[in-house]
Amino acid sequence: MKKLLLLLLMMSMVLSSIISAPAEEIIKIGGIGVLTGPTATYGLAVKNGVDLFMEELNNSGGINGKKVEMVWIDSQGDPAVGQAAYYRLLENEGVVGIIGAVLTNVTKAVAVIAAEDGMPLISASSTAYEITTDRPNVFRTCFIDPFQAVLIARYMNSKGVDNIGLLYDVGDEYSKGLYDTFVAECEKLGLNIVVTESAAFSDVDFKSQLTNLKNANPSAIFLPYYGQPAAYILKQAKEIGLDVPFYGADGISNVTDSIGDYSLLTNVVYSDHFSNDAEGELTQKFLSGYEAKYGEKPSLAFSATAYDAALVLTKALEKAESFEFDAVVKAMKETNVQGVTGNITFDEHNDPIKSAFFTTFDENGNKIFVERVDP
Amino acid sequence: MTLFISQLINGLHVGSIYALIALGYTMVYGIIRLINFAHGDILMIGAYTVVIAIGSLGFSPVVAIISSIAVCVLFGVLIEKVAYKPLRNSPKISSLITAIGVSMLLQNLALLIFTPTPKPYPISLNVEPIALGSVHISFTTMLTFGVSLLVMMALQAFVLTSKAGKSMRAVSEDMDAAVLMGINVNNTITLTFAIGCALAGIGSVLYCIAYPSVSPTLGSLPGVKAFIAAVLGGIGLIPGAVLGGFLLGIAESLTKGYISSKMSDAVVYGILIVILLFKPAGLLGKSIREKV
Repeated sequence: MKKLLLLLLMMSMVLSSIISAPAEEIIKIGGIGVLTGPTATYGLAVKNGVDLFMEELNNSGGINGKKVEMVWIDSQGDPAVGQAAYYRLLENEGVVGIIGAVLTNVTKAVAVIAAEDGMPLISASSTAYEITTDRPNVFRTCFIDPFQAVLIARYMNSKGVDNIGLLYDVGDEYSKGLYDTFVAECEKLGLNIVVTESAAFSDVDFKSQLTNLKNANPSAIFLPYYGQPAAYILKQAKEIGLDVPFYGADGISNVTDSIGDYSLLTNVVYSDHFSNDAEGELTQKFLSGYEAKYGEKPSLAFSATAYDAALVLTKALEKAESFEFDAVVKAMKETNVQGVTGNITFDEHNDPIKSAFFTTFDENGNKIFVERVDP
Repeated sequence: MTLFISQLINGLHVGSIYALIALGYTMVYGIIRLINFAHGDILMIGAYTVVIAIGSLGFSPVVAIISSIAVCVLFGVLIEKVAYKPLRNSPKISSLITAIGVSMLLQNLALLIFTPTPKPYPISLNVEPIALGSVHISFTTMLTFGVSLLVMMALQAFVLTSKAGKSMRAVSEDMDAAVLMGINVNNTITLTFAIGCALAGIGSVLYCIAYPSVSPTLGSLPGVKAFIAAVLGGIGLIPGAVLGGFLLGIAESLTKGYISSKMSDAVVYGILIVILLFKPAGLLGKSIREKV
């Protein structure tokens, strides 16, 4: 009797595994991003771009006839929460790949553990160099900080800017990383840095540092900051009478969320991954699709890089022999597709080779495309 | 020299905000010997009230500011009635922990209702800074400085000359004796909380005009700094709070300007430790035996 029961039990297990097989018709892809908090606009921009792509993909038949489902988890901009999100996606959701994370410090934390499992991971917005180093499974569709800082220094040089002032955040990897490369490139180009000031993470008052900057009389200031602190800095610079051009990197692109007085932004030029004014058939298709789905133009370039990240991952899933992590990673490495932000191939460091779009603002806070700089 | 004056002015701006908030801490401490840790969060409530009043209800800035001060007062009185009054005769440590609990409650409530995504503060002053040579003084700085001084003097006059002020001093000196003298202790304490929170409401407007981004944790940083300012000057004393606030702001600004921004907190806490070592009751405080 016992043996019979055991046999029945085993048979039912085998049966159930056979029955559950058709449920795998849906392919789950994980998404980790900061969806709440001061940097939420970045995460939401990425989510919008990815969701738009997946909707279009599912409408046109999905991956080899299978629909794709995105599982999003909010990292709250916290590396520890990001890691917890990763484990949930891996163990509970059984995803075949992950798009994310969004902020540099979170992506770094997630990439460390993703590398152990070989999980295909692609970030649309994390620009720090070392994220993909020695991690063959980690990719990105944005340019990297060293590259970005170099292009900014070169751009400033081409505009005849000399005697540069610097203000950066000692407690933030993104800010510090940009600062380091920028200084190195300035040395190479022979650009003179007249004053360097720093601030601690989560500071709100920069007037003391700005007063020192003003005292050194620079002709322009490089500001490797995210939007919210950048808004404080620009406002306080005006208060103490510091009126010079400010140069920033992609992190400043959401500054319009935190600033009420848009006239402060006309002094700002920054490097971006994409411009809504860029030409090309795919770009136009992306812009019209985005506007149809969300009722507005994408406000950040990360929607475009996220769209491309989703494109890269799903194309790889389509071409890979199986959904095993290794096979997918191999297919991702061989990527050669036309994306919204340009043709995407990866170098030996898994970084895409791309152009930077220098952008400024008008007095209503609209972004104005200035110049495209190719590597 | 101009650099030094500029840094001094920067310090005065931050310092006057600290001073204004420190007044609230000091008043409450002076009367019931309670460090009201929720004081910083009253600031946050005031800021969100302005955001709602202008953003959703379409009030004019002046009406929004007045209603924000009113909401702060309402919350302050409510918190006192619900959380602190039942514990008035319990050990001090119970009220202290309750205060921390109230602070957490308010912050997390704001997180739930408003989400952590910051909102831009809808009031801004677009007045060109005044230039004296190469020293620029912004209108915000002058306004903040002026309002703080005015409020402090008014408060001092109120406490020293009015009848309500007299009963506050009496309650602060000896609560039981005050009852025997026919003073309504409950009303006096409520009034103290109301005034303290009104100051937090004013402080919130000035703080947010300077740093125009409203989030649920907005109050923690100025709250802690103002608390240090109050202790530095001598907690329980109105001139002490103001002195402490200005001292703290100027110390921060000069450290950032001349030593290193990384050192500013270290210097501030260092000053606090040194002063407490030599004058445990704060700069203006007199060492008196505390009835704990």
